[in-house]
Amino acid sequence: MNNITFIQDILSNFFFIAGMFFVFLGMLGLYRLPDVYNRLHATTKIGTLGAFGVMMGIVVKLGFGPMGIKAITVGLFLLLTAPVAAHMISRAAHRHGVGLCEESTLDDYGKTYCPMNSSCAVKHEETIEDEHDQM
Amino acid sequence: MNTIHLLDIALIFMVLSIIPCIHRIIKGPTIPDRVIAVDALATVIVVMLGVYSFVQESVFFMDVALVISIIAFVGTVTIAKYLDEGVVF
Repeated sequence: MNNITFIQDILSNFFFIAGMFFVFLGMLGLYRLPDVYNRLHATTKIGTLGAFGVMMGIVVKLGFGPMGIKAITVGLFLLLTAPVAAHMISRAAHRHGVGLCEESTLDDYGKTYCPMNSSCAVKHEETIEDEHDQM
Repeated sequence: MNTIHLLDIALIFMVLSIIPCIHRIIKGPTIPDRVIAVDALATVIVVMLGVYSFVQESVFFMDVALVISIIAFVGTVTIAKYLDEGVVF
């Protein structure tokens, strides 16, 4: 019985430290990265891996009591909705005209969905070719 | 005794990790930057409330965490639709 409790402590501490590590990575990315999309790519890790890791640590430490059930509910909700929210806000940012950073080389979404739209801030290859054709 | 120290360290770390969110909300050059920072801030507060609920051994903070996560998701989707189409509904 004591051995099982020891393994539970080890596992829950591991999940806690993994979740805190991903929260640290997300905050570092939010502070340092140069672009909206790069920052979004870093920040979504907090919602999925960080929050889910911490909630799984609580579940492993407490078992399926009332708090464990609520913790796994919060973790699964964040795991399902954080990528959806990130996708919607990145699509809205791209259509709103927020450009990519200077080091980025390819814009597949702009090439697919707005080839003739001048509100896209990024000039990709097809737009430039279309402008040359119109000239 | 060891886990109490780890949870205290986790709470202090979550409070410290609010600072980059506030920095990005104030300084962020575009509107989606601020929306992303608010979303990350809500997620960090949810994680902090989960850890605090475990420290206090009370179930009610977990309800607060669930409500805050739902409101953050709905708010992010609403602002995304407003930026995209110009109307909310």
